[in-house]
Amino acid sequence: MKKAQYITILKKLFLLALLLRGLYNGEIKAQETDYKAYSLFIYNFMKYIEWPEAQSKGDFVIAVLGDSPINKELQTLVSSKKLKGRNIILKKCNTPEEAAGAHLLYLSDSKSSAVKTLKEQTKDKPVLIVGEREGLAKKGAGLSFVTLEDDGLKFDINKKEIEQHQLKIASSLIQLGIVIN
Amino acid sequence: MHFLSIFDAVHLPRIAFILLAVFFTSFKSLAQGDSTVVKKDSIDYYEMSLEQLLKLKAHGVPTELEKLINSLISVASKKPLNVRESPSIVSLITEEEIKNSGARDLIDVLRLVPGLDFGVDVEGVVGLGVRGNWAHEGKVLVLLDGQETNEILFATTQFGNHYPIEQIKRIEVIRGPGSAIYGGFAEYGVINIITRQGEDLNGLSVSGTYGQGETDYLRRNANLSIGQKINDFEYSVSGMMATGQRSNEDYTDFQDSSYNMAGNSNLNNTYVNAAVKYKGLSFRVIGDMFQTTMRDGYGDKLSDGAVQDNFGSYFGELKYVLKLNDKFTITPRLNYKSQTPWQSEEYAGKAEYNRTATRALGNITASYNVNRKINVVFGAEAYQDHAVDHVDSSYFSNDEQQISYNNMAFFAQGLIKTRLVNFILGARYDKHNEYGDAFVPRVGLTKKYKRFHFKALYSNSFRAPSIENINYSTSDGIKPELTQVTEVELGYQLTRKSILTLSVFDITTNNPIVYSVDSALNDVYINSGSSGSQGIEAEYRIKQRWGNIGVNYSYYSVANKEKITDYEVSESSSSLVGFANHKFNLVSSFKIMEGLTINPTISFIGKRWGYGSVDDSAVSVIEEFDPVTLINLFLRYETPVKGLSIGIGAYDILGQKYKFIQPYDGYHAPLPGPGREFTFRLQYNLNFKKKTEN
Repeated sequence: MKKAQYITILKKLFLLALLLRGLYNGEIKAQETDYKAYSLFIYNFMKYIEWPEAQSKGDFVIAVLGDSPINKELQTLVSSKKLKGRNIILKKCNTPEEAAGAHLLYLSDSKSSAVKTLKEQTKDKPVLIVGEREGLAKKGAGLSFVTLEDDGLKFDINKKEIEQHQLKIASSLIQLGIVIN
Repeated sequence: MHFLSIFDAVHLPRIAFILLAVFFTSFKSLAQGDSTVVKKDSIDYYEMSLEQLLKLKAHGVPTELEKLINSLISVASKKPLNVRESPSIVSLITEEEIKNSGARDLIDVLRLVPGLDFGVDVEGVVGLGVRGNWAHEGKVLVLLDGQETNEILFATTQFGNHYPIEQIKRIEVIRGPGSAIYGGFAEYGVINIITRQGEDLNGLSVSGTYGQGETDYLRRNANLSIGQKINDFEYSVSGMMATGQRSNEDYTDFQDSSYNMAGNSNLNNTYVNAAVKYKGLSFRVIGDMFQTTMRDGYGDKLSDGAVQDNFGSYFGELKYVLKLNDKFTITPRLNYKSQTPWQSEEYAGKAEYNRTATRALGNITASYNVNRKINVVFGAEAYQDHAVDHVDSSYFSNDEQQISYNNMAFFAQGLIKTRLVNFILGARYDKHNEYGDAFVPRVGLTKKYKRFHFKALYSNSFRAPSIENINYSTSDGIKPELTQVTEVELGYQLTRKSILTLSVFDITTNNPIVYSVDSALNDVYINSGSSGSQGIEAEYRIKQRWGNIGVNYSYYSVANKEKITDYEVSESSSSLVGFANHKFNLVSSFKIMEGLTINPTISFIGKRWGYGSVDDSAVSVIEEFDPVTLINLFLRYETPVKGLSIGIGAYDILGQKYKFIQPYDGYHAPLPGPGREFTFRLQYNLNFKKKTEN
């Protein structure tokens, strides 16, 4: 084939590339963490974990410690759902102290190092600590999220820790997670 | 020729371009209907049942591309890891991509992989090159459903209308070393072919392909597969009857003698693959009777007509996956293979060749998950090779008609996953009773951070001398050749439906086993010098609702490497004989309407160097071969009749008449490939029952 023909083909490939660029209407964002799924799990934690009777009345308080995109999803949850007739309140906190009085304390990834402090502060109190980062259940959280190799979303369960906080976890929820002790 | 005049080389690119442009304009309307993302707000999301929670993904509903790049593979690590974190440079080719591309055989598929290309050996046999290096003899491992297809006399795998392309579910290509896992044939790469099993088939599948060249047929292949999974029991039986020809073109040897390859280059295959599986226990047998005819011999035209070459292989495997608990799995397996490759009668002064080699192999592999972040794989392997010569007057190096060797190997691998990086450390030690030992460690760092991923890999690998390497070695004996490979891959997911990857590599092989032919046409193998290559590979993939496009480019150079005389090109310090420095591929598939796809593929193979003639002193002369642009177009239509699809394809539309160049100085002229070809394919799948949804 002559050089001129190659140039013609290359020109056409270039035009084809331009055409492709023009048609380029894919989603720009790469695959990001699906915090909506996280919020759905949290809602089920609330449904399938039993708090002591004294904490089973009035508003149910979720505290999120640290900045996390989950705030937006939890806001949607609390504004659209109730927990067994109870209102759900969302509190955004920057320090563990601000989270006092919460039923469920969500520890965002950036505040993972606070897990030990929280464990001490909430000792024997009916609080469920949920860790966003994998491995926090081993360090004192009651539950922490896990991303499996196939991207499946699961959670570790620290049964001992949950029981120490006077909480009862339903067997159906236990079957869904991974018990670490 | 006459009826092909419409495909005039000048007009065709224009016609193809206009067609593509028309098709593209229709994609927008298809794309608008994109519904790959579940409309979560349209249902009461928070009322999902606990069972449904099990299906949720941490990163949402994956796109088709994300499914591909996050799919789990174990070819590079034994422990399943997603493609982006797998400790090798990997190309993954799916069943859908193979079907849509209209690939006629493995040459069509593998040519589209960066860094892979083909060359001619002898007797019409075509083999693989990896990253510029001739890898045909023992440097690239080809696995078919876990069976090592490389025959153990010369360690080759033969390509061209061989193996049932229409039965393949997936091909995993490691474009780098795999010896730390697979041993002595995986020095430069691993091609892992996985065919459809009982669960994939769940019924009956029949297909037929007819390929017409410019003067004669090029393939008439028929496939039949049946399989099913019933509770814990699974079975599959697949077969292929194939008659094909390498080319309709003329082969011209160095003496200017020619013959037409129609009727002289048969590529016939009778193939059966049967497997049963019950829980962890599985048993497989494969019979692969590849039969060729050739008139090129070792380069000079055979004046007495075509000679038949047989490559018969039989494989058997018994395997048990014993899962002791969630953490510990032990997999013992037994493999047996019997191969009679390169079997031919005496011709043109070359003695009859008829040798059978068997390998009996035992392997036990243990995998222990210390926790979710740490995995250890370790095991041992032993095999015995036994070769028998069936020709009365022919002997092995021990002056007997039988010879045996044995080999022991131990291997281990540790994988630690941390938030920052995945760390992989592995090694394999082989001890052979004849040529001694080989120790090949490897270390890898991989990780994906949202859109970005990287891999930094350093591996040692080796090529084990085959039985004939030992047999035809000189008095100095023969040793394994050792290779060091450094690779880095960077990947970035531009969008949820597109990804760009870039990799660089450096390969150095010390004391390679080099094949040569002496003046008396005797094969000789020696360890000699040093070789290797450096290069880059880049790939862009986009998968949209309207179809998908993959573009890749690969480049190698040997400018900074030592060279073997038989492989080097004195006119170009960066090139090796037979393989182009530059290669560009475009693989695409466009949905025109429901069920109908048009699938153009383009391979641009840059300038090559090869031996094309001899001078007055009968010394072979190296020549420059012009670049080649191979354009194929395949139309695939899934008819309204459930399970029935038809396809028509045009190949080498520009009539470039690609030739396979011999990648060493072996006095063999370039061998014509299939040239322009038209195919018609019919496939029918009958499902026994609907698959149970997970």
